[in-house]
Amino acid sequence: GDVPRPRGVSLAMAPLYQPRGGDNSWTCLDGSRTIKFTHINDDYCDCADGSDEPGTSACAKGQFYCINKGHQPMIIPSSRVQDGICDCCDGSDELDARGCPNTCSVLGAAAAAQRRQDAELHKRGTEKRKEMIAQGNKLKLEREARRADLEKRILEQEQLKSEKEQLKLNAEALESEAIDTFKEQQRELDAETAHAEEEPQQMRQEASLSFVRYDANKDGFVEVTELMVDMNLDRDRNGVVTVEEAKYFLDERDRVDLDAFVTLTWPRIKPLKMLAEGLFQPPQAPEEDEHIEATTEGVAIPTTEEQREPQPSEEHADHEPAIDSDEADEEGDEDQYDDEEPDVGVGEAQPDAENASPPVYDPETQRLIEQANEARNAFEEVDRTIREIKQEVKEIDEQSGKDYGLHEEWAVLDGECHAFEDREYIYTLCPFDRASQKPRNGGAETTLGRWDQWIGEGNNKYSTQRYANGAGCWNGPQRSAIIHITCALESRVTAVSEPNRCEYYFEFETPAACDNEAFQQAQDENLHDEL
Amino acid sequence: VDPNNFKTCEQSSFCRRSRKIQSSGSKYAIIPGTLNTYADSLTADLINKENHHQFTFKLEALVGSTFRLQIDEKQPLHPRYRVEHALKEEPKTARISVQKETDGEITISTDDHKNKAVIHGDPFRIDFYENDVLVVTANAKNWLYFEHLRQKPADAADGHADGEAGAGNAAADDDQQQAEAPKSPGEAIDDPGAWEENFKSHHDSKPNGPEAVALDFSFPEAEVLFGIPEHADNFVLRSTSGTDPYRLYNLDVFEYIVESKMALYGSVPVLYGHGPRRTAGVYWQNVAETWVDIYTAETNVVSSLVNFVSGSRKSPSPAAHFISESGIVDAFIVLGPKPIDVFKQYAALTGTHPLPQLFSLGYHQSRWNYNDERDVASVSSKFDEYDIPMDTMWLDIEYTDGKRYFTWDKFKFPEPLTMVKNLTELGRHLVVIIDPHVKRDTGYFFHNDCTERGYYVKTRDGNDYEGWCWPGSSSYPDFFNPVVRDYYAGQYALSKFNTVSENTMIWNDMNEPSVFNGPEVTAPKDLVHYGNWEHRDVHNLYGHMHLMGTFDGLEKRDPNQRPFILTRAHFAGSQRYAAIWTGDNTAEWSHLQHSIKMCLTEAVAGFSFCGADVGGFFGNPDSELLERWYQTATFLPFFRGHAHIDTKRREPWLFPERTRLVIRDALLKRYSYLPLWYTSFYELELKNEPVIRPLLTHYPADKECFAIDNQLLVQDRLLVRPVMQQGVSKVDVYFPAIDDKKNGDYWYDVDTYQRQERAGYESVPVTEYKIPVWQRGGSILPKKERQRRASTLMLHDPYTLIVCLDRQGKAEGTLYLDDEKSYDYRQGQYIYVNYEFAHNQLTNRFIGKPKYKSSSWIERVVIAGLSTVPQSATITVNGVSQQLEVLQQDHAVIVRKPGIKMNVDFAIKLNY
Repeated sequence: GDVPRPRGVSLAMAPLYQPRGGDNSWTCLDGSRTIKFTHINDDYCDCADGSDEPGTSACAKGQFYCINKGHQPMIIPSSRVQDGICDCCDGSDELDARGCPNTCSVLGAAAAAQRRQDAELHKRGTEKRKEMIAQGNKLKLEREARRADLEKRILEQEQLKSEKEQLKLNAEALESEAIDTFKEQQRELDAETAHAEEEPQQMRQEASLSFVRYDANKDGFVEVTELMVDMNLDRDRNGVVTVEEAKYFLDERDRVDLDAFVTLTWPRIKPLKMLAEGLFQPPQAPEEDEHIEATTEGVAIPTTEEQREPQPSEEHADHEPAIDSDEADEEGDEDQYDDEEPDVGVGEAQPDAENASPPVYDPETQRLIEQANEARNAFEEVDRTIREIKQEVKEIDEQSGKDYGLHEEWAVLDGECHAFEDREYIYTLCPFDRASQKPRNGGAETTLGRWDQWIGEGNNKYSTQRYANGAGCWNGPQRSAIIHITCALESRVTAVSEPNRCEYYFEFETPAACDNEAFQQAQDENLHDEL
Repeated sequence: VDPNNFKTCEQSSFCRRSRKIQSSGSKYAIIPGTLNTYADSLTADLINKENHHQFTFKLEALVGSTFRLQIDEKQPLHPRYRVEHALKEEPKTARISVQKETDGEITISTDDHKNKAVIHGDPFRIDFYENDVLVVTANAKNWLYFEHLRQKPADAADGHADGEAGAGNAAADDDQQQAEAPKSPGEAIDDPGAWEENFKSHHDSKPNGPEAVALDFSFPEAEVLFGIPEHADNFVLRSTSGTDPYRLYNLDVFEYIVESKMALYGSVPVLYGHGPRRTAGVYWQNVAETWVDIYTAETNVVSSLVNFVSGSRKSPSPAAHFISESGIVDAFIVLGPKPIDVFKQYAALTGTHPLPQLFSLGYHQSRWNYNDERDVASVSSKFDEYDIPMDTMWLDIEYTDGKRYFTWDKFKFPEPLTMVKNLTELGRHLVVIIDPHVKRDTGYFFHNDCTERGYYVKTRDGNDYEGWCWPGSSSYPDFFNPVVRDYYAGQYALSKFNTVSENTMIWNDMNEPSVFNGPEVTAPKDLVHYGNWEHRDVHNLYGHMHLMGTFDGLEKRDPNQRPFILTRAHFAGSQRYAAIWTGDNTAEWSHLQHSIKMCLTEAVAGFSFCGADVGGFFGNPDSELLERWYQTATFLPFFRGHAHIDTKRREPWLFPERTRLVIRDALLKRYSYLPLWYTSFYELELKNEPVIRPLLTHYPADKECFAIDNQLLVQDRLLVRPVMQQGVSKVDVYFPAIDDKKNGDYWYDVDTYQRQERAGYESVPVTEYKIPVWQRGGSILPKKERQRRASTLMLHDPYTLIVCLDRQGKAEGTLYLDDEKSYDYRQGQYIYVNYEFAHNQLTNRFIGKPKYKSSSWIERVVIAGLSTVPQSATITVNGVSQQLEVLQQDHAVIVRKPGIKMNVDFAIKLNY
């Protein structure tokens, strides 16, 4: 209603603007001074809190309340009163009627329509979200069931393992005895025995050399990052050696010392090396295209006219003559060296593996050795099975460790990938995994970040995600991406920008973000304000 | 910066040749009988007594205690370059008369008998007197050195092009000299770089051979020398004995270092000598590469010891030796006698920045780069969201379509006009960059026009020069050609550049010119310009010519709107067209400190409209450095936040809340003082007086303050000592003395009105919000204390007058106002008023008729320094009086709401 009150005062505050009986005075709302009531809105600031000038621009800390009948009321700083710009839709902030038409009813109608639309969206989106919740919970149950199953299998396999181990020990005891006997008989062949002992020695030497090569920072440990540069270790051939991949070789540790490297890491790396060096036949024909892409992309040779153009500004502001157009691209620095390592030593490893002629045992000893080998293989097989199961448990645990929201509504997004194209790049967001970009005209994919955490503020934790530790920038930090998420009926990326160098910003919408209840509550609060 | 990318004096043939004279001296004399005197000047022929080459010299008296000395060859092989366009206009001459003429000496004096010059014939020397005190001597040290043009010796063709190796091969040079002996003696110059020279991979063909000019100036009354920007160095010039000279050669220096004599983006060859009694100066008008050697006693321990032992009281006079690669000797000697006089005398020659639009004195928000229209809109609206004032958004090179200036990236900026309109509707402006390099692209109209019409700077062979800059292969329009300037100016017409509005202003960068693959990152010296001049002859003026074109273009685009241009390269006189900033600085405390030092030097050299990239261009400032940088910039004329593309975003709201609030506080303070800044810029145009000034300007007798360059004065009204060190809780402030008895002015802290009564150092506590600033007792200044989104929205807001009383209880000060945008003020549409307070009464006196119709009024009068608080005040207008309330606040009283319009006479009397 229209309660008489000074200009710029809200209905709620109106009772505070009454002259004191008798002397017609008035006390600033902060109690700091008492002034004449006529000094309210006289275009001179008397109160430290600005409360005497709600309707003018006189006070630095003042606030002006626009009623905005037909739309939402609004509070603006006094600095916007009488500045020639229409801030309130009812035009009440500008006294000269010249410029400010009342647009409240139009805006109010539009806002109401928008609210209805938003409400509808949230309502329908919430239905979809419910499906996602159901699926998420189902996935969770499946995971839990699978995990329980695996745990059970581990127990079974552990038991089997100890049985097999016993069989192995028995067989080996017999074998050892037989070999000893045989060796007694073969004492004159000491030289060959010595030769046989050299093999682990040689293995160790080879491992040590590799250790030195991997230990780039010479700290006596080989770390995850030091392995990540070796593209031979890219087991899934996706162009990057992930932390997970690297860790496999480190026996799931962050780093290993020389001894651990020799015993644990080298045996896992060596086959891949040999594979790379052509000593093994790969199990299947390599996917030619992908392979070629992976190697040439690393060097990022500009191929199009556009790329050949110097763009010093986009690289760095080095005012040095920028005529070096084949300067290595920032993405390229990471892995080109290992890729291009020449195939040295192809013929060297062979003699040891092939030429060492095993001794010829007598048939009985030979039989016991074969039995022992079978027992060992049986044991190894069980052991491998256990490791595989444990790996799967670990993967499940990792997944369960991810925060899929209060109701598992985000879980189904894990495993999806959403692409967005702009003029230059194709961006990809794989929720809970990674964000990346790839030039449209070809070239390497660059990781912008790997799943890190939810970083929304306050109650809106699930409105923003961060992907961190992406590929390093030339002369700069590692790339990272912030994902801002809003409600929609379909999941998709709607915009990508790079507000800061190497810090990307994705707009992502998905039904998982729709929450009708919260939306309605916010609406109610707004409406409440209006009254 | 890697200093090895830039020449030392020793690596520059003409510099080492000219510097050599410092050990041997030269032998120039007036040829007897050639002297002629005229009403305003005197001429004579000079001879080099060693090689008998003849020169003419002319000494001219100019209005305003200034002499002009010119020396050229009498009959040069071909004309030597004479600088054009630097002077504001042809200087007015003054009448002289011959006082005395004896054998080999003639004394002339101006008709007012204030100034006198004594010309000595052999050795040639000129003494300049101000009121019978010797203040400047030209050639006191006999270091005049003038290489006449000569034919290339036959065997110099295959000469030793040698830039790297010092003075070179003595034996070979001796042979050469002997071979040439039959010619006139001293004809040859035995420096290996005389006829061609190399630096790094660059070859300079030097078709005209040696042609350097050099001359020394001594300042017998001076204790300190200052001037010759642009260098990242102290305000007071340091001795160059044992170091390189200061270098003046417009260069694009990447990550420049401070406390360095290396050349930077601008060159202003004006130098002042100041002592307690006299100030004088020299403007060395030469636009070729120039080195300046500085001789000051303070570093020369040996000579002071000698003086002490020999009983000589006086150490040798401070002196400067100007060394230029080509051109003629053209020196203006300004005789003071006071610092403000020399600044005005110099400004009378080269001009001042014209009154800028008010908005350009507000806060500018820039970044390389705001990515797209959405980014621009979002940053602008964030300033509103956090209620921080901001006037101007800037777009660096990435807004263009592939670095083709006058075009837009249509994907990132599909609707620039809408973007401009959205800013304008909030009272804000847009500035876009236009650099001089032109992308060599046959799909680019500008390039095609320049190619077809021959507008580019040419190589020696007559081809268009191609260098490398942001767009890749680029060429450079020859702005020395008036037709090219016209063409370029025409591109700003709204019919051509129709994607901006008449309110979009311009930033000219990279105009040294910057050439990424050129020698020292600039153009080769043997390029050829309009009029067949070599780039060598005109280098330091290239940016200036670019600015002339831009200024002309903007004036033609909208004849009644004052252009705003920011430039990086500059020469003497460029201040008539553009504001400057100190280029690509770094986010370090030392660079913050140098922002003041550098701008003070620029200000006394004509460039009051100066600032530094707030926060530092390179690197990432932490919150404390950013806070202090904003506070410091609050009291420098040009105020722009800017950052390199590789830096983190640093808009105020991206920092912790405290930082945002500290920055907001500083910006609100800046905006509250806009009426003072605006009045100061009007008075710069009107009276040639710098806006910001070193302390010595108004405290010339106080030796303690000569070298202070971490404090500055805004006119003579504010004393500013920003906090420019990390982690301090107090700063030492020097309050200057007005006499030699340590008497000082009263100074009032502008936040509390607490009064400082003593001269000398004072330790002042500071909080993170504190910007230590004092208003001088005896001054009145205008403010506007209402906050707005942008300065343009403050036009109708009321004024506050701050009256700070001196020891006599008096004060005075001016206010200037107009429409803040157009040239109507030149038709008298302004209000210029002097307020005076004496005998407890404030009155006004209009200077000129107050014709401008302003809706503003006086909101309050703050008076600091009264001994007792008055009961009330009475305002009288047209004989009608009215009672006003008087309130007490801190150490001041406030006269509440006089409510008087700005163009009305009034008197406010305090009642006790």
